[in-house]
Amino acid sequence: MAMTAVARETVFALRRQIAKIEGTLPERLAAPAAATSDADVNTDLTIVRRGIAAALPDAFLPIGVERLDVALSGGLPKAALSEIHGTQTRDAGAVAGFALSLTSLILKQTPGLPVLWIGTTEIFREAGFPYARGLHGSFGIGPEQLLFSEAPRLVDALWVAEEAARMTALAAVILEIRGNPQRLDLTATRRLHARAQGAGRPVFLLRQAAEPEPTAAPVRLIVASAPAAPRDTIAGPLAGSIGRPAFTLTIGKSRTALPGQFTLEWNPDERAFDERAGDERRGEGRQRAKNPVPVVSLSGRGKDPAAASGAVLAFPAVGSPAAISPTARDQPSRPQRAAHLGPRRAG
Amino acid sequence: MISHRDRNAQRISALDERAEVLHLKRDMGIADARAMHPSIDVVEADPEADRRLLEGLADWCDRYTPLVALDEADGLFLDVTGCTHLFGGERAMLDDILSRFFHQGFDVRAGLAATPGAAWAAARFCGDRIVEGGEEEALLAPLPLAALRIELSTRASLESVGLRTAGAVMAAPRAPLARRFGALLLLRLDQALGRLDEAVSPRLPVAPLSVERHLAEPVTLTEDIERLVGMLAATLKTDLERRGEGARTLALLLFRVDGAVSRIAIGTSRPMREPRLIQRLFHERLAALEQDIDAGYGFDLVRLSVLTSAAFDMQQADLTGETIDDGADIALFADRIRARLGEGAVLQPVMVESHLPERAVAMIPFTEAPRRITPPKKPDRLQAPKTIFPPERPIRLFRSPEPIDVPATEMPEGPPLNFRWRRALYRVTRAEGPERIAAEWWREAPSDEAASTRDYFRIEDADGRRYWLYRQGLYGGASQVPPRWFLHGVFA
Repeated sequence: MAMTAVARETVFALRRQIAKIEGTLPERLAAPAAATSDADVNTDLTIVRRGIAAALPDAFLPIGVERLDVALSGGLPKAALSEIHGTQTRDAGAVAGFALSLTSLILKQTPGLPVLWIGTTEIFREAGFPYARGLHGSFGIGPEQLLFSEAPRLVDALWVAEEAARMTALAAVILEIRGNPQRLDLTATRRLHARAQGAGRPVFLLRQAAEPEPTAAPVRLIVASAPAAPRDTIAGPLAGSIGRPAFTLTIGKSRTALPGQFTLEWNPDERAFDERAGDERRGEGRQRAKNPVPVVSLSGRGKDPAAASGAVLAFPAVGSPAAISPTARDQPSRPQRAAHLGPRRAG
Repeated sequence: MISHRDRNAQRISALDERAEVLHLKRDMGIADARAMHPSIDVVEADPEADRRLLEGLADWCDRYTPLVALDEADGLFLDVTGCTHLFGGERAMLDDILSRFFHQGFDVRAGLAATPGAAWAAARFCGDRIVEGGEEEALLAPLPLAALRIELSTRASLESVGLRTAGAVMAAPRAPLARRFGALLLLRLDQALGRLDEAVSPRLPVAPLSVERHLAEPVTLTEDIERLVGMLAATLKTDLERRGEGARTLALLLFRVDGAVSRIAIGTSRPMREPRLIQRLFHERLAALEQDIDAGYGFDLVRLSVLTSAAFDMQQADLTGETIDDGADIALFADRIRARLGEGAVLQPVMVESHLPERAVAMIPFTEAPRRITPPKKPDRLQAPKTIFPPERPIRLFRSPEPIDVPATEMPEGPPLNFRWRRALYRVTRAEGPERIAAEWWREAPSDEAASTRDYFRIEDADGRRYWLYRQGLYGGASQVPPRWFLHGVFA
């Protein structure tokens, strides 16, 4: 990230040289003058799109967060195997949630097609079976669009995934595996990747509690859960509430090899990602983790219930400095809140 | 020699030829037999195993006719009406059956007649006889009463009045016979003589369509079987086309040279008649069953039957000759997965009206039916009011809620401060709730532990993971059982 403009320019010049030698320069970059004229990041990054992906105009699924899309050179490849890692089994909720939000983005483009979720019996027992009501509520994926396949053995799960990956009638295939089994090696992932490329549909390989190892997937993202922001109300954030799902995303592997860590927030209403940007906001999240706000209502804290009962308001009046509860002080009040933090639901 | 226990005495129930030479007889006491010949070898009878063997033989006899019925413990009925010409006539067929059984090591008696009763008598008392239609009376007349398939007691009382042959019974006046010995005697007599129809109820449902191929050289390789399935399915296709139907359930019967029969069934999500697709489904099934099917010396008869069929919707192909139907692709895909991994391998969720989270979604094997049929609209007053904000539900739910250890809660009714799940301690930083979900009293008894009220909390731990916990039971309830905590699901 700390690359200076000059260094980056050099790198791109070298890459272009390599591409010319290999003869894989995309047609749209046939005139190198256009590319060299200014350091437009998007144009330069197209060099690294090769093969089939480069030929298709919409080979990438933009995630909707600009910084991340740039780091992934335009988004997640649509016709490919993508690895989504979780470091521990208990992160299964976040990993699955992130994969489902990507699926939800795909379903926006190909509505009506079903999604197949394949898992081994082991992972469904350890991490819980996908719950259709929750998927509908959080990601807008209806029960009629969901298919599940539970395989007792990894071999069977891989076989189902390979059969499913070549089907164009499925919007996406999610394969969930736990740990680092030997069978899921470079060859197995290469087969999956090749079939996904052929069908033009994404295959998400969810690997719970797994160490990164060499695979054929062009992209590997490592997902962990992040503390959620409080719910937005008309009168500002509601203290002590758990808002939209948030993820911490680390790029483990990508075509551009640009590192990066992002905190994304999934908006279930608009079915879109927001980046939890800004240092002040991130700092706030960290602060909240350290000093948790009261777990229930203040009166339940029991320290000084009489004093608190008069002043606490669930919804402080807009902009009134008088109605500051001990918790609301931690939150930025409405005028201080940066305007780019995403749309309010109302008001 | 085989013995069985009858009224506290071991008696001979079956014996081989060498034992017969020694003048041993059925129903003789084992003690007596041993006294006569101490060196005889006695085996305890196993009726279950006999039954299984007979069923195996019945399966094998499927090669002659689909209508095979078991006859008590030691006989088989084959309804060969309309089948004999396939084997070169009645005599040739009977010889074929007898010789094949002989080569398998069975000593078989067979009879062929126009009525089951006459055939039964011919097989048991005449041996390998073919009775032409109308000859039944002549056949039965000299035979003993046992040939009439009547009970032992009736037989004994008939003999006591001097009627010792079937012919004597036939000659006797009917009315007194019926009055004295019951209607069954006359029924059996009429059935044997063809005056009344007797239905043989087949063991297995008869397939509406089936095609088969007899092989001069037995096949053993799975690939060969698959190719044969493809050829049979091609024949089947014309039949299905004539009927305007497609197959929903198919069965493949493999007859091994030594008499064992393998039966492989597959189901399809939508009616199917394309030989290529049927062959692919059997390919998966055979791959899954590779360990279970023992080809042995090979299969010499392969039969493909349509067990159930349904109307086939014709589709108009476009100019390139392809029909675009994603549903068909998925149905086919699901069929293949199921052929290999079993019926429950592809599941789809169905929403169920229930407050209990684990009941609110039912997983059913993939079918296309519920997607096509829209449920009838309920009257408005019965419909649950739609909330604008449905309660948030986790994205993963544990099959059975996992018990967690909650050392302390801030308030008795409040969320936990921390909890221990799978031996790890989690600190709760934020919580939402409770959402109280009462048990469905119309299903569970109130005394049942699962029927107690649950208070659900949506909590977040120090690392930002979000969980769905609940407390089962209430504090200070009548039962005096302290409430227990469970982790039921995880959020994104």
